[in-house]
Amino acid sequence: MGVDGYYPTLIALWLLPLAGAILNWTFGPQLRRTAGPLASGVIGASFVATLWLWRDATQHLASGGVDLVGAHQALFSWIPGFDFGLLLDPLALLWTLIITGVGFLIHVYSIGYMDGDTAFARFFAYMNFFVFAMLTLVLSDNFVGLLVGWGLVGLASYFLIGFWFFKPTAVAAARKAFVINVVGDVGIMFAIFAIFASVHSLSFADAFAYADSYATPWLFVICLCLFIGAAAKSAQIPLHTWLPDAMEGPTPVSALIHAATMVTAGVYLVARCAPLWSQNGNAQVLVGTIGGLTALLGAILGCAQWDIKRILAYSTMSQIGYMIMGVGVGAYEGGVAHFFTHAFFKAQLFLASGLVIHALHDEQDVRRMGGLLKKLPFAFVAIATGVLAICGIPGFSGFFSKDQVISGALAHGYPWLYTLGIVTAGITAYYMCRLLFVTFLGSYRGQVDPSDLGMRHPELAGTSHSAGAMAQDSHEEHAANAEWFMIVPVAILIPFSVFIGWIMLGGESSPWARFFAEQFPHPALPQPPVSEGLTGLITFAVVLVGIGIAYVRYATANAQQNAVERLRSESIHMPGILTNAFYFDAALDLLFVRTSEALGRFFGRYLDPHVLDGAVRETVISAQWLGALTRSFQTGLVRSYAFILVFGAACFIAYYAIVAGGVR
Amino acid sequence: MNAMTVPLANYIALSAVIFFIGVAGVIVRRNPLIMLMSIELMFNAANLLFAAFARAWLHNAGHIFVFLVITVAAAEAAIGLAIVVTVFRSAKTVDVDDVALMKG
Repeated sequence: MGVDGYYPTLIALWLLPLAGAILNWTFGPQLRRTAGPLASGVIGASFVATLWLWRDATQHLASGGVDLVGAHQALFSWIPGFDFGLLLDPLALLWTLIITGVGFLIHVYSIGYMDGDTAFARFFAYMNFFVFAMLTLVLSDNFVGLLVGWGLVGLASYFLIGFWFFKPTAVAAARKAFVINVVGDVGIMFAIFAIFASVHSLSFADAFAYADSYATPWLFVICLCLFIGAAAKSAQIPLHTWLPDAMEGPTPVSALIHAATMVTAGVYLVARCAPLWSQNGNAQVLVGTIGGLTALLGAILGCAQWDIKRILAYSTMSQIGYMIMGVGVGAYEGGVAHFFTHAFFKAQLFLASGLVIHALHDEQDVRRMGGLLKKLPFAFVAIATGVLAICGIPGFSGFFSKDQVISGALAHGYPWLYTLGIVTAGITAYYMCRLLFVTFLGSYRGQVDPSDLGMRHPELAGTSHSAGAMAQDSHEEHAANAEWFMIVPVAILIPFSVFIGWIMLGGESSPWARFFAEQFPHPALPQPPVSEGLTGLITFAVVLVGIGIAYVRYATANAQQNAVERLRSESIHMPGILTNAFYFDAALDLLFVRTSEALGRFFGRYLDPHVLDGAVRETVISAQWLGALTRSFQTGLVRSYAFILVFGAACFIAYYAIVAGGVR
Repeated sequence: MNAMTVPLANYIALSAVIFFIGVAGVIVRRNPLIMLMSIELMFNAANLLFAAFARAWLHNAGHIFVFLVITVAAAEAAIGLAIVVTVFRSAKTVDVDDVALMKG
């Protein structure tokens, strides 16, 4: 699939983060403050290496009738058919740029955000390990390497969500994320089995070269199993319940893992296996529908959240739904474009909300915010531009990518997904502007009594960092220096969220389309009923409606004055179905958790003591019985021994006299 | 000598009866001396058989064998009595059932 060669920079790119992780793990206590810059420097070096390899990653070579794109570094051959290597083609290059680039910015941000935490070095070790794992996932040239990376990012996520392990909620959230991800791992494993059974090889090149030779039912099964994995990792319905709880981790973690990179691994998987999906229409319908439904569900639930990070979490779920819908219906460039722009504006939103949380001493509930426009102007600008980007205001990056996904759905023949996308865009605009208005407008509500705001569990609202703050030395000392580490990365991200979309302008001849010209299949499509330009206008109109509703509810002068009243009323009257997230958690609890516990109890109380122990005890008892029986012959009485003697002799004689015809 | 007036079968029957009386005595009686006497009975039954056949077949080996058996029986009785005296000196009973030390 790629041009074979020796690419030491590629190997260095891949292994440097691992080296950084090992250094931070081993020498954490010695490194102290330098752990942050060391870890960031390592990722920065990987980013530079990626840029260095740009030309190699986009090279084309027509060799023996096959088009080779990108750089392929063979690593080792385990057994014939199991060759492991690294592949850096345009798709992998895009993901690597985001992982190392945005990853670098988030590492630098973390130097400021995690300042004062006692486990400073451990955090950066985990972050570097995550980058290494994610790179393994996207750079592998075969399914097994991808699965290895898949599992390792799940592990890194577990480490980082449960970073503040003295918080029971964080530990529970980490475990939940990991268990749900394992379901996905199993799906991918079965898909690998099926692929190997069909083509007897595990490399992408072989699996896709014979894409048209798979038996159709098997192809659907493979795509289904792969998608189970993608759904678990990318928080799609019904395996999405771990993502909101994953916000227990520190904000940089939420930004890097649960917004920009790890959760997009599912999108990468579908995009990478585009040749398989393009052969099977049923699989495309499945993926597109689930993506669309998740987008809608995430948006609806985002309207009901009060924790700033949870709003962003549901927003992530919804936007990934868009990406999955895009790559599912066959609009690969569109889905991947949305991943690209989303990485920037979502990371920006998370990091800027981290600024707000930090400034308010770990308050995360937006009901207790308000009036921050004057206090935190930079955070306002950052979040406002992020909101404009995610809403898809024309000119901002989100507009171009979302438009590609929505019109792609129509062009590939899914009008109901098209409608869903437009409606969801409107809802997205509503709840994101709700976040912006409630957080920044009006007057500061931090002094208001929580019950007046309708908060039922004020002690649960954002106590994450304060637990780590217990181990802090003087907060004020670090405040000034740490601020810069947090502000500069956000400042760098802002122009990207605003302007990066312009490279997608121009349809077929845009730089974006040309970058992926060789990567994805481009079937001939009929002219869609609604042109892309008109779609953009319709979407914009719906978005304006959403913004308008949010404005009327939260931003008018009247609304700002009566903010406390309105927020309390909204909290109290929030429908149960929304606060319980459509009862997915309850359903999973009933179906799986309770069943497993009951099964465990049954095994522990009945099966184990009675059946298994019983079998062992039975063997002992029968041995004892047999022994007792045999022992009964040993009476110790001379007379019974004599009797037996006589009896035996009589039998012998009887035999010879009667049966054997006498002794001659 | 004249021919035997008593048929051979009678001698065999008598010998069998005496033998089984001896066996019954060994199995049923509990006194070790009586058991030894019963064993002597069995020996004598065998002896009777030897003598009868030696006369019936006019073969002198049978008569010689009777002497051998008598000697062996005497020796065996002596040793048997010695064992009985030794064992029952410590057991202090003359009941064979009470020296069931090999029980179990």
